[in-house]
Amino acid sequence: MIGDEIEITVVSVKGEKVRLGIKAPGSVSVHRKEVYLAIKEANIEAAQVDAKALESLPDLFKGQGKS
Amino acid sequence: MEGKKIVVIATKFGQIEVPEEHIYLFPEGILGFSEIKRYAIVQSPKGGPFQWMHAVESAPLSFVVCDPILFRPDYRIFVRREDIAVIHLDDISKGIVLVIVTIPKDPQEMTANLQGPLLFNPLAKLAKQLVLNDPTYTVRYKIIGRETKGEPDAGSDKTN
Repeated sequence: MIGDEIEITVVSVKGEKVRLGIKAPGSVSVHRKEVYLAIKEANIEAAQVDAKALESLPDLFKGQGKS
Repeated sequence: MEGKKIVVIATKFGQIEVPEEHIYLFPEGILGFSEIKRYAIVQSPKGGPFQWMHAVESAPLSFVVCDPILFRPDYRIFVRREDIAVIHLDDISKGIVLVIVTIPKDPQEMTANLQGPLLFNPLAKLAKQLVLNDPTYTVRYKIIGRETKGEPDAGSDKTN
Protein backbone atom coordinates (compact mmCIF):
# COMPACT_ATOMS: atom_id res chain seq x y z
CA MET A 1 0.00 0.00 0.00
CA ILE A 2 1.03 3.59 -0.61
CA GLY A 3 -0.88 5.77 1.80
CA ASP A 4 -4.42 4.58 2.44
CA GLU A 5 -5.66 4.48 -1.10
CA ILE A 6 -3.07 3.14 -3.49
CA GLU A 7 -2.57 -0.59 -3.61
CA ILE A 8 0.13 -2.31 -5.59
CA THR A 9 -0.05 -6.05 -6.14
CA VAL A 10 2.08 -8.49 -8.05
CA VAL A 11 -0.24 -9.93 -10.68
CA SER A 12 2.13 -12.52 -12.08
CA VAL A 13 5.77 -13.49 -12.29
CA LYS A 14 6.98 -15.08 -15.52
CA GLY A 15 10.67 -15.66 -15.74
CA GLU A 16 12.21 -12.21 -15.31
CA LYS A 17 8.97 -10.37 -15.99
CA VAL A 18 6.83 -9.16 -13.14
CA ARG A 19 3.40 -7.73 -13.83
CA LEU A 20 2.17 -5.23 -11.29
CA GLY A 21 -1.39 -4.19 -10.68
CA ILE A 22 -2.08 -0.72 -9.34
CA LYS A 23 -5.37 0.17 -7.72
CA ALA A 24 -5.81 3.86 -7.14
CA PRO A 25 -8.72 6.25 -6.74
CA GLY A 26 -9.78 8.25 -9.78
CA SER A 27 -8.04 11.36 -8.50
CA VAL A 28 -4.62 9.75 -8.88
CA SER A 29 -3.12 9.43 -12.33
CA VAL A 30 -1.24 6.27 -13.09
CA HIS A 31 0.77 6.31 -16.30
CA ARG A 32 3.31 4.06 -17.81
CA LYS A 33 6.73 5.59 -17.85
CA GLU A 34 7.06 4.87 -21.58
CA VAL A 35 4.16 7.19 -22.32
CA TYR A 36 5.74 9.99 -20.31
CA LEU A 37 9.06 9.46 -22.02
CA ALA A 38 7.49 9.32 -25.47
CA ILE A 39 5.71 12.63 -24.91
CA LYS A 40 8.84 14.20 -23.48
CA GLU A 41 10.87 13.06 -26.51
CA ALA A 42 8.22 14.35 -28.89
CA ASN A 43 8.25 17.72 -27.11
CA ILE A 44 12.02 17.98 -27.38
CA GLU A 45 11.90 17.04 -31.05
CA ALA A 46 9.11 19.54 -31.73
CA ALA A 47 11.19 22.30 -30.12
CA GLN A 48 13.82 21.93 -32.89
CA VAL A 49 11.39 23.58 -35.27
CA ASP A 50 12.82 26.01 -37.79
CA ALA A 51 11.77 29.65 -37.52
CA LYS A 52 10.52 29.52 -41.11
CA ALA A 53 8.65 26.28 -40.72
CA LEU A 54 5.19 27.82 -40.91
CA GLU A 55 5.76 29.61 -44.18
CA SER A 56 5.33 26.55 -46.34
CA LEU A 57 2.86 24.63 -44.24
CA PRO A 58 -0.55 26.07 -45.04
CA ASP A 59 -0.14 25.23 -48.73
CA LEU A 60 0.63 21.64 -47.88
CA PHE A 61 -2.34 21.53 -45.65
CA LYS A 62 -4.75 22.60 -48.35
CA GLY A 63 -4.21 19.23 -49.95
CA GLN A 64 -6.11 17.68 -47.07
CA GLY A 65 -9.30 19.10 -48.50
CA LYS A 66 -10.85 19.90 -45.14
CA SER A 67 -12.86 23.02 -44.70
CA MET B 1 -9.47 47.87 -23.34
CA GLU B 2 -7.28 50.44 -21.70
CA GLY B 3 -3.82 49.69 -20.44
CA LYS B 4 -3.43 46.48 -22.40
CA LYS B 5 -0.07 45.19 -21.34
CA ILE B 6 2.38 44.21 -24.03
CA VAL B 7 5.12 41.71 -23.35
CA VAL B 8 8.28 41.48 -25.43
CA ILE B 9 9.46 37.97 -26.16
CA ALA B 10 12.74 36.88 -27.71
CA THR B 11 11.93 34.22 -30.30
CA LYS B 12 13.83 32.36 -32.99
CA PHE B 13 12.97 35.12 -35.42
CA GLY B 14 13.76 38.03 -33.19
CA GLN B 15 11.78 39.99 -30.67
CA ILE B 16 8.04 40.07 -30.92
CA GLU B 17 5.43 41.95 -28.94
CA VAL B 18 2.54 40.00 -27.53
CA PRO B 19 -0.50 41.24 -25.61
CA GLU B 20 -0.38 39.81 -22.11
CA GLU B 21 -3.76 38.15 -22.59
CA HIS B 22 -2.17 35.71 -25.04
CA ILE B 23 0.17 34.41 -22.36
CA TYR B 24 -0.62 31.23 -20.49
CA LEU B 25 0.84 29.82 -17.32
CA PHE B 26 1.60 26.09 -17.33
CA PRO B 27 1.94 25.51 -13.56
CA GLU B 28 3.70 22.20 -14.25
CA GLY B 29 5.47 23.22 -17.44
CA ILE B 30 5.38 20.71 -20.28
CA LEU B 31 7.21 17.40 -20.28
CA GLY B 32 10.93 17.85 -20.83
CA PHE B 33 10.68 21.58 -20.13
CA SER B 34 9.20 21.54 -16.65
CA GLU B 35 11.06 24.66 -15.50
CA ILE B 36 9.51 26.80 -18.22
CA LYS B 37 6.07 27.90 -17.15
CA ARG B 38 4.88 30.74 -19.35
CA TYR B 39 4.12 30.56 -23.06
CA ALA B 40 2.51 32.94 -25.50
CA ILE B 41 0.15 31.65 -28.18
CA VAL B 42 0.76 33.68 -31.32
CA GLN B 43 -1.02 33.55 -34.63
CA SER B 44 1.37 33.54 -37.56
CA PRO B 45 0.37 35.66 -40.57
CA LYS B 46 1.33 32.82 -42.89
CA GLY B 47 0.57 30.02 -40.54
CA GLY B 48 -2.98 29.17 -41.51
CA PRO B 49 -4.33 26.82 -38.89
CA PHE B 50 -0.94 26.61 -37.18
CA GLN B 51 0.09 28.83 -34.31
CA TRP B 52 3.31 29.44 -32.47
CA MET B 53 3.71 28.76 -28.80
CA HIS B 54 6.71 30.77 -27.60
CA ALA B 55 8.33 30.46 -24.20
CA VAL B 56 8.15 33.87 -22.57
CA GLU B 57 11.14 34.09 -20.25
CA SER B 58 13.56 31.48 -21.52
CA ALA B 59 16.06 31.54 -24.30
CA PRO B 60 14.26 31.15 -27.64
CA LEU B 61 12.07 28.12 -27.32
CA SER B 62 9.12 27.70 -29.62
CA PHE B 63 6.63 25.06 -30.59
CA VAL B 64 4.13 24.87 -33.40
CA VAL B 65 0.66 24.02 -32.18
CA CYS B 66 -2.62 23.40 -33.94
CA ASP B 67 -6.22 22.39 -33.36
CA PRO B 68 -6.32 18.59 -33.76
CA ILE B 69 -9.89 18.69 -35.05
CA LEU B 70 -8.53 19.98 -38.37
CA PHE B 71 -7.00 16.68 -39.28
CA ARG B 72 -8.65 14.35 -36.79
CA PRO B 73 -12.32 15.36 -36.53
CA ASP B 74 -13.02 12.41 -34.27
CA TYR B 75 -10.37 13.41 -31.73
CA ARG B 76 -11.76 13.06 -28.23
CA ILE B 77 -9.82 13.10 -25.02
CA PHE B 78 -10.52 11.91 -21.53
CA VAL B 79 -9.79 14.66 -19.06
CA ARG B 80 -9.26 13.78 -15.43
CA ARG B 81 -10.53 15.75 -12.51
CA GLU B 82 -7.02 16.52 -11.32
CA ASP B 83 -6.11 17.89 -14.74
CA ILE B 84 -9.05 20.25 -14.61
CA ALA B 85 -8.14 21.26 -11.06
CA VAL B 86 -4.62 22.32 -12.06
CA ILE B 87 -5.98 24.84 -14.54
CA HIS B 88 -9.20 25.71 -12.66
CA LEU B 89 -11.30 24.71 -15.63
CA ASP B 90 -14.68 24.41 -13.91
CA ASP B 91 -16.58 24.41 -17.17
CA ILE B 92 -14.92 21.89 -19.45
CA SER B 93 -16.77 23.25 -22.49
CA LYS B 94 -14.72 26.45 -22.12
CA GLY B 95 -11.45 24.56 -22.51
CA ILE B 96 -9.36 24.70 -25.67
CA VAL B 97 -7.30 21.77 -26.88
CA LEU B 98 -4.23 22.21 -29.06
CA VAL B 99 -1.60 19.67 -29.98
CA ILE B 100 2.11 20.16 -30.54
CA VAL B 101 3.26 19.59 -34.11
CA THR B 102 6.72 18.33 -35.03
CA ILE B 103 7.94 19.64 -38.37
CA PRO B 104 10.97 17.81 -39.73
CA LYS B 105 13.06 18.92 -42.72
CA ASP B 106 10.49 17.47 -45.05
CA PRO B 107 7.29 19.14 -43.87
CA GLN B 108 5.25 16.40 -45.56
CA GLU B 109 6.41 14.20 -42.75
CA MET B 110 5.10 16.40 -39.99
CA THR B 111 3.43 14.75 -37.06
CA ALA B 112 1.20 15.79 -34.21
CA ASN B 113 1.41 14.66 -30.63
CA LEU B 114 -2.10 13.37 -29.98
CA GLN B 115 -1.14 11.55 -26.82
CA GLY B 116 0.12 14.63 -25.00
CA PRO B 117 -2.40 17.34 -25.91
CA LEU B 118 -2.38 20.79 -24.34
CA LEU B 119 -5.51 21.86 -22.49
CA PHE B 120 -6.01 25.61 -22.06
CA ASN B 121 -8.31 27.55 -19.79
CA PRO B 122 -8.71 30.80 -21.75
CA LEU B 123 -10.44 32.57 -18.88
CA ALA B 124 -7.86 31.86 -16.18
CA LYS B 125 -4.95 31.82 -18.68
CA LEU B 126 -3.80 28.49 -17.33
CA ALA B 127 -2.76 25.42 -19.29
CA LYS B 128 -1.53 21.89 -18.88
CA GLN B 129 -0.07 19.14 -21.02
CA LEU B 130 -2.16 16.03 -20.55
CA VAL B 131 -0.87 12.49 -20.67
CA LEU B 132 -3.41 10.20 -22.30
CA ASN B 133 -3.41 6.50 -21.62
CA ASP B 134 -5.59 5.91 -24.66
CA PRO B 135 -3.53 3.69 -26.99
CA THR B 136 -5.53 4.94 -29.99
CA TYR B 137 -3.46 8.10 -29.99
CA THR B 138 0.25 8.29 -30.57
CA VAL B 139 2.86 10.98 -29.99
CA ARG B 140 3.73 11.00 -33.70
CA TYR B 141 0.52 11.05 -35.67
CA LYS B 142 1.27 11.74 -39.31
CA ILE B 143 -0.86 14.66 -40.44
CA ILE B 144 -0.43 14.76 -44.20
CA GLY B 145 -1.12 12.08 -46.74
CA ARG B 146 -3.71 10.05 -44.92
CA GLU B 147 -6.61 8.74 -46.88
CA THR B 148 -8.57 7.20 -44.09
CA LYS B 149 -9.45 8.92 -40.90
CA GLY B 150 -9.63 7.34 -37.53
CA GLU B 151 -7.27 4.47 -38.12
CA PRO B 152 -4.03 4.98 -36.29
CA ASP B 153 -1.98 2.86 -38.67
CA ALA B 154 -3.61 3.77 -41.95
CA GLY B 155 -1.23 5.05 -44.59
CA SER B 156 1.91 4.42 -42.61
CA ASP B 157 3.33 2.22 -45.33
CA LYS B 158 2.12 4.22 -48.30
CA THR B 159 4.21 6.69 -50.17
CA ASN B 160 1.69 8.41 -52.40
